[in-house]
Amino acid sequence: MKLAWQFIKQILIFSLIVCSFVLLLLLPREMEVTPFAPLQYEANFPFTLELYKETIDDFVTHIKEERGFGETSSGNNLLSEVERFFNRSLKVILPAFLLSMIVGTFLGTVQVYFRAHKRGKIMSFISWVFASIPDFFLFIAIQYMLIIFMRHGLPQFSLFGHNEWYSFIIPLISVMIYPVIHMAKFTVVSMENEMGQDYVRTVFSKGLTKFDAMKHMIWNCFSPIMNQSQMVMLYILSSLPIIERISSYNGAGYQLLVAILGNEDVRALSFMLPFLFLMFLVVLVTQFLRYWLVPKEVVGK
Amino acid sequence: MKYIRRNAVLIFGMFLLVILLFITFVGPYLPGIDQELEETQYIWSEERIPIPPPYEPNPEYLLGSDHSGRDLMSLIVIGAKETLLIVLFITLVRYLVAIPLSYLAHKEWLGIHLFLKWINGFLSYVPTIIMVILLAMLPPFLFNENRIYIMILIIALVEVGRAAESIKLDLDDTASKEYILSGIVAGASPFRIFRHYLLPFVYGKLIVYIVSDVGKVMFLVGQLAFIGVFISQEIIQIDFGQFQIRNTSISWPMLLADAHRDIRIAIWIPFWTAFAMTFTIFTFNVLAQGFQNLFKKKNTYI
Repeated sequence: MKLAWQFIKQILIFSLIVCSFVLLLLLPREMEVTPFAPLQYEANFPFTLELYKETIDDFVTHIKEERGFGETSSGNNLLSEVERFFNRSLKVILPAFLLSMIVGTFLGTVQVYFRAHKRGKIMSFISWVFASIPDFFLFIAIQYMLIIFMRHGLPQFSLFGHNEWYSFIIPLISVMIYPVIHMAKFTVVSMENEMGQDYVRTVFSKGLTKFDAMKHMIWNCFSPIMNQSQMVMLYILSSLPIIERISSYNGAGYQLLVAILGNEDVRALSFMLPFLFLMFLVVLVTQFLRYWLVPKEVVGK
Repeated sequence: MKYIRRNAVLIFGMFLLVILLFITFVGPYLPGIDQELEETQYIWSEERIPIPPPYEPNPEYLLGSDHSGRDLMSLIVIGAKETLLIVLFITLVRYLVAIPLSYLAHKEWLGIHLFLKWINGFLSYVPTIIMVILLAMLPPFLFNENRIYIMILIIALVEVGRAAESIKLDLDDTASKEYILSGIVAGASPFRIFRHYLLPFVYGKLIVYIVSDVGKVMFLVGQLAFIGVFISQEIIQIDFGQFQIRNTSISWPMLLADAHRDIRIAIWIPFWTAFAMTFTIFTFNVLAQGFQNLFKKKNTYI
């Protein structure tokens, strides 16, 4: 019953967010150019409520008439185009998401385990360094390094584009590094919060090892860790368009950017919707997993 | 000595900050930095062939040159001041709005806490950068004479909800402590409670938030530059109804204007520019971590 209510609530939130996004997207962006002298033009940007209403009406009729998003300017079905680009992006998004969650949590746990050792301190230092590296710098640095290596004898391969089977790897690494570090840091923080709990002391008083204590702690941290999945997805989706642009990996993220910058409302929405839906899925799956996997008394915390 | 060891991170952060400030303010006057930003049309190669810029890093141009033959290192050093100013200004504006907002949300005044919840919910679905582009590309903002201030406001305000929410949580947490009750019993006014009972205990966290936000803003500004959305730019008309964005400043984002093309022809331009941004982000992240360690006290059994 509680799960059903949660489900309905999430659907409501999702539809509200989609509506707000559409309203934001439809803000009038047209420009009226009027010539007032030979070779001199004046650009006007009418920005009135009526115009806004008109744009919204146009949009609604467009959706109604086309029974969907309609066609692109070159005559292709927009939806099938979205599907093609989105599938290409999924090749980056899905591995990035799963790896971030798993590797990030694992790294965090290892860091907590060795926190008193030198190894743990080095790890935490490395994780700061990586947390400060923006995705775009990481991408450029990898490219620069490979270019220099290629000059010195590394076999040549294609660094850009999406045509090779391995094209997704460099974008994947660039997109992934920040979420991984975020997860590792978050795991460390939530484990540190558990350190003062009495049950940890009980574990030690019974003569069990640090490893056993950690097993209890990670299970208790599971709920907040799962909660971060939405954040991780958001980070991935935020950096995807930029990385796709600079790596010429022509996927849905890049197409979304082009559509927004080119003021193509319908196209922008059709590329944004799958991303929003992906976020929605992540939220739902997380709720579901938390409900089934996490000890009940921890959920309420 | 013990103090130094305990706060090693903070001191390291301060050290990085001093380097950054030195480059920003003293850097332009150092030898080897070309203050005039002289443009070079071509240089003669050994075979007496004129070579046009951009030039790869070489002894004369340590970090290479840009497309009009200006020394990249000089460009980065001279552009540092403007870039840092913009980033700091955005962060300050954000927190000047966020602090009162968080207090009002903490007091649940006029449903502001609901507003914060809604806006944060929205931004947990839609990436901030998409929001910023959507707003920045609105014609009234795009062609405004005061675009730079509008852009600063947009970037500052888009994330104001997140900033206010974290301060609000701290205020909520502090307000539930018992000494607040004693203040109320003693007859302190709400303002006095806020000023002398709540704020002093939030200061530490506030500093951590602000310092780490400087890094985040730098990150966002860099991302925007790669997309082609700049903070300071001028629009000029080139043809009927066609407008072109012209660069008017020498801040770092401007060096990334053609980054997606440069990455194939002159990768050192985006590389060193992004490196300067990364260094800034790193500095402020280390500082934030240092402050956090300074204010954090925790008991532990493991």
